[in-house]
Amino acid sequence: MRHLHRGLWFMASLALLVALIWGWQVLADARILPRAFFPGPDRTWRALSRGFASGTLVADTLTTLRRLGLGWVLASLLGVGLGALVGTSKWAQDWVAPIFEVLRPLPASAIAPVLLLFLGLTDSMILTLIAFGALWPMLLTTVHGFSNIHPRRKEVARSLGMGRGAFIAKIALPGALPDIMGGLRLGLTVALILVVVGEMITVQGGLGARILLAARAFNAAEIFAGVALLGVIGLVTNALLGLVETRALRWQRR
Amino acid sequence: MLETTGIDATKSGTQEVLRVDGASVRYGAATILDGVDLTLNRGEFVCVIGPSGSGKTTFLRLLAGLVAPAEGRVLFRGAEHRAPSREIAIVFQDYANALLPWRDAEGNVSLALEAAGVPRAERAGRIRALLSKVGLAGSEKKFPSEMSGGMQQRLQIARCLAQEPDVLLMDEPFGALDAMTRQKLQDELLGIVRDSNVTAFFVTHDLEEAIYLSDRIVALEPDPGQVCRVFDVTLPKPRNQLSTREMPEFLRLRRELFDFIERFEP
Amino acid sequence: MTALKGLALPVALLVLWQLAVVLSGMQSDTIAAPDAIFAALGRALTEPAFWADTGDTLAAGGMGLALGFGLGTLSGVLFGLIPPVGRVMRVTVELLRPLPAIAILPIALLIFGFGYRLEVAIVAFGTCFPVLVLTEAAVRQIEPRLSEVARALALSPGARVRKIVLPAVLPRLFVALRLAAGIGLIIAITVEIAANPIGLGARLMQASNSLRPADMYATLFWIGAIGWALNWGMLRLQLWLFPATRGAAQ
Repeated sequence: MRHLHRGLWFMASLALLVALIWGWQVLADARILPRAFFPGPDRTWRALSRGFASGTLVADTLTTLRRLGLGWVLASLLGVGLGALVGTSKWAQDWVAPIFEVLRPLPASAIAPVLLLFLGLTDSMILTLIAFGALWPMLLTTVHGFSNIHPRRKEVARSLGMGRGAFIAKIALPGALPDIMGGLRLGLTVALILVVVGEMITVQGGLGARILLAARAFNAAEIFAGVALLGVIGLVTNALLGLVETRALRWQRR
Repeated sequence: MLETTGIDATKSGTQEVLRVDGASVRYGAATILDGVDLTLNRGEFVCVIGPSGSGKTTFLRLLAGLVAPAEGRVLFRGAEHRAPSREIAIVFQDYANALLPWRDAEGNVSLALEAAGVPRAERAGRIRALLSKVGLAGSEKKFPSEMSGGMQQRLQIARCLAQEPDVLLMDEPFGALDAMTRQKLQDELLGIVRDSNVTAFFVTHDLEEAIYLSDRIVALEPDPGQVCRVFDVTLPKPRNQLSTREMPEFLRLRRELFDFIERFEP
Repeated sequence: MTALKGLALPVALLVLWQLAVVLSGMQSDTIAAPDAIFAALGRALTEPAFWADTGDTLAAGGMGLALGFGLGTLSGVLFGLIPPVGRVMRVTVELLRPLPAIAILPIALLIFGFGYRLEVAIVAFGTCFPVLVLTEAAVRQIEPRLSEVARALALSPGARVRKIVLPAVLPRLFVALRLAAGIGLIIAITVEIAANPIGLGARLMQASNSLRPADMYATLFWIGAIGWALNWGMLRLQLWLFPATRGAAQ
């Protein structure tokens, strides 16, 4: 009954979305929306299929996905690794952790100009930008997760005679997992923003560069096609991570 | 029935397992325990009572090796003991924190076996035996969040038994449970302790629980914590929730303990 | 004492950095010594143009935040109070939400061209959704007893929102505002770095493009200080206005 109820609302919600898109089409056809800015769903769709047919859109999408994936994985490894080190060391928490709190409000994209100086308009500049920017949320949530382990769990580990490695693998890491998953999610959001920014600045291929070039050429349909794809990437990657999270944190559900 | 019970301790002789010699524990300037002496023998069930602030839990942590004495010493099987040992298992009161919520019942028991380096092939059989011993057969795949408080505490006891300990230290293990579950677990615990011949050290604030379970009761007095008196409990075994609690000896002890504890009530 | 410990490492790193630059005697287009950076910052702080850039970023970010926060709260209250509206909008909102705000930059660029309006639009888009989600959740979780009180008093819908809903969700609205302010600053700077030739972000890009590392690091430091001060100030304000939100402060 509850399921049916939810399903009906989902259908209604989907219907509203379709209606909105249809309304957009009607307004575009009636020339109420300026065609130069709002091309209408039909022309956006044509730009999408043209881009896919010629292969350039596929190539740009794959480039963006590769950078997003690589940068995010790099940031995750660094962030969770460093976070585990800092979170399990009293010394590091006293001396190192305060810097993180100061660096946190710094906009990640602000280091793009610095990286430009060091790495120029290159692929590695984009990757470094993503890895550096997306690292912070993961680092901070991992430190938080590790430093919040209940003291009783440490006593259990001691009374069972567990070593530091076993403690981290069997007690600390799984215990910090809910926090770490939250960090991975936040990091993904940041990484998606930074991949677009990096591609816009360097113009080294990818969807970010594509939509910026389309804007310079006043090609609205091309922009909308690219933005739609970025939206899909955001939606799908988030949903995938959500699935992984539900599986990994199965034990939290009652 | 009678001849097989109640005389285990004497049959195996009074074999000393744990001994505390004039041990004091301090946190900063505060003295929590001051010159405590106690000897625990094999197979014995000893309860500790005392008003709050008398250092009951600290006493247990001292025996566990979780805190080191500032003076005096703790001897485990004749050797000085300053760090936790796998042969001494601890049942904590807050089972929710002591169990790992991301492991199911099997996984939680398995943790102790993994820590002891038991080969994977041997684990499954032992886990099943331990879980059925504490009455959790059929709940192998349940997560702690899917269990009642009583079941979770049973699970923690199973994990402790997996350590195959000589000593079982328990810090108010039934304090958070309702009266019915509590009585049931008391009887099961007595059975487990008798069958596995471990030495039990049990902290409680419930005087009747202490009498019901014990061979000996250690009464602590506060400020600083000291052993004030030791009561011998000569009630026959096995104990029974109805008849034992009605025996004159039980009532006499209860009166004595109440008088003792009342001195410290404001 | 803990604050001192926290300062020790950054100060040590700065000293090491300075020593390394001085001892190696290097001339670099990418790295500047701390003393040169602080000198550049000192110089910049006396320049009207520097303050104009700071003002541009804060004004564009602030206006975008006001717009995004307004829209977000309005729709959040609406969605929360009238659940069918929230449910029927669900798919549309969930589809737009994961879209990185910066991705709409080219669209906004076509419509508005370079300047304030471009930045305001993107900041508004980016801050609107987090505020919407937080507000909707806050409205939904209002004590049901309060709604019953409103019904018993036969308050009009307008009075209900003004007298019951808003005061009840005010603390959580402020938390949303604080988070949105942080996001707004980040988006404003990002837009300026990626395209818009105004504000501190553009200044940062110019310093980078014309190989003036000291100016670049000084601007970066300044941006960090603004971000930090904004976060600190909003947190203080929140704790002062709503002491009960202490638990949710982080």
